[in-house]
Amino acid sequence: MAAGFKTVEPLEYYRRFLKENCRPDGRELGEFRTTTVNVGSIGTADGSSLVKLGNTTVICGIKAEFGAPPTDAPDKGYVVPNVDLSPLCSWRFRSGPPGEEAQVASQFIADVIENSQIINKEDLCISSGKLAWVLYCDLICLNHDGNILDACTFALLAALKNVQLPEVTINEETALAEVNLKKKSYLNIRTHPVATSFAVFDDTLLIVDPTEEEEHLATGTLTVVMDEEGRLCCLHKPGGSGLTGSKLQDCMSRAVTRHREVKQLMDEVFKSMKPK
Amino acid sequence: MPGDHRRIRGPEESQPPQLYATGEGEAPAPRDPARLRPVYARAGLLSQAKGSAYLEAGGTKVLCAVSGPRPAEGGERGGGPAGAGGEAPAALRGRLLCDFRRAPFSGRRRRAPPGGGEERELALALQEALEPAVRLGRYPRAQLEVSALLLEDGGSALAAALTAAALALADAGVEMYDLVVGCGLSRALAPAPTWLLDPTLLEEERAAAGLTVALMPVLNQVAGLLGSGEGGPTESWAEAVRLGLEGCQRLYPVLQQCLVRAARRRGAAAPL
Repeated sequence: MAAGFKTVEPLEYYRRFLKENCRPDGRELGEFRTTTVNVGSIGTADGSSLVKLGNTTVICGIKAEFGAPPTDAPDKGYVVPNVDLSPLCSWRFRSGPPGEEAQVASQFIADVIENSQIINKEDLCISSGKLAWVLYCDLICLNHDGNILDACTFALLAALKNVQLPEVTINEETALAEVNLKKKSYLNIRTHPVATSFAVFDDTLLIVDPTEEEEHLATGTLTVVMDEEGRLCCLHKPGGSGLTGSKLQDCMSRAVTRHREVKQLMDEVFKSMKPK
Repeated sequence: MPGDHRRIRGPEESQPPQLYATGEGEAPAPRDPARLRPVYARAGLLSQAKGSAYLEAGGTKVLCAVSGPRPAEGGERGGGPAGAGGEAPAALRGRLLCDFRRAPFSGRRRRAPPGGGEERELALALQEALEPAVRLGRYPRAQLEVSALLLEDGGSALAAALTAAALALADAGVEMYDLVVGCGLSRALAPAPTWLLDPTLLEEERAAAGLTVALMPVLNQVAGLLGSGEGGPTESWAEAVRLGLEGCQRLYPVLQQCLVRAARRRGAAAPL
């Protein structure tokens, strides 16, 4: 009977739960779904990670290639993110060129990389003006159950921490690069940005980590990206209902707590991988 | 890509570091020509897809999802004599749309997202191999979408995709005559031209010819066959097909187990 009511009046069904300060899957309003992360599973990629936020699954694979540095910044490398939302993850998407949601997500990830200074692009330069590393970060969503942005940011961070770049030296006589695939080193990750997404219901209620159904019923969404020193890196609020300043402050404090949870999880995972 | 404004731009072109690597490449280790790599198969893992399957064989990782049946796009097609067993007439039968994609990080060299000809060819091969197994007559004017994603290529990618697609269709509850099991083969170069079953990426790259067979194990009928490379005597190719079919039969019990487990899991979760 509940299932019938849910199909006919999804919003009313939801409101009944929200009145009791909980959600249909049993979570509280400020509770995240179970987060799991698996690092380094793709052998062909230079760095990879798989993140599951409840049912939402995102895999990130990073391939490093050589390229010429940009003409306006000759001592910087490239970090090129690409989020892929295909019919595999949800029936809503069509195969073909990236749709709107994928483009928005790709641009969001590019902004996070730029604003949080997660890696120093100068570290990626091998020879100023001639050769630099290009890190292609491909994020593929395997299962879309809401809150893609959080999962993608986390997957990107974990994959970047997992990337190992081979040693490159420029031979002075031939001016060609020489790559030693046996000697690899990790990237220097300066900050750890973590995203926290919220959905706004009925212009007033904020819930954390929305599932896909909740995203559809919400009147607005908000994503806050924090780094470890409690600094705000990025705020993404694509329209939707307005929020008061105090609500925004609550969101930011929740984001700080979330950062601690995620950092702890990541430290555990990377510590368990050390003996390699 | 220069004109692609939908993706974040990188440099105009880039080269993989392997081009500049010092040191020689590795040679494939000698092995038993009829060995199959241990397979891990799991069905029913994606919540948003009607049916899904993940297959891992050695280094090859494939994920496949099925959605539908959905009303078919494209014009109405006329009727005709009805098929046996209450099926729709031939012109109104359902369609199977297959899509094969390689993840950009799946091979040695990064492949930019718009796949190109090879992916379309493999998608067509998938469709041709899966059609004989699916009772499309039971889904008139509908289309079933099968999307296969290759996460890591460790050799025999098409074979793994075929098997995963068939498992995903079965997991979705689509009516089928039988499962489809795929097996890859490759023939090494001149000095020892033996056919190797289930080649690794290294063996495939150094092969003179390659073959993928798809078999419906219970009906014992070949559903698909795709081969390419240097020619050879017909007995050699016939021998290869026989080896491939034997490999498929050996793989079948693992897939049966996988589907039974998935069904049990669904049964246990259902009463909620």
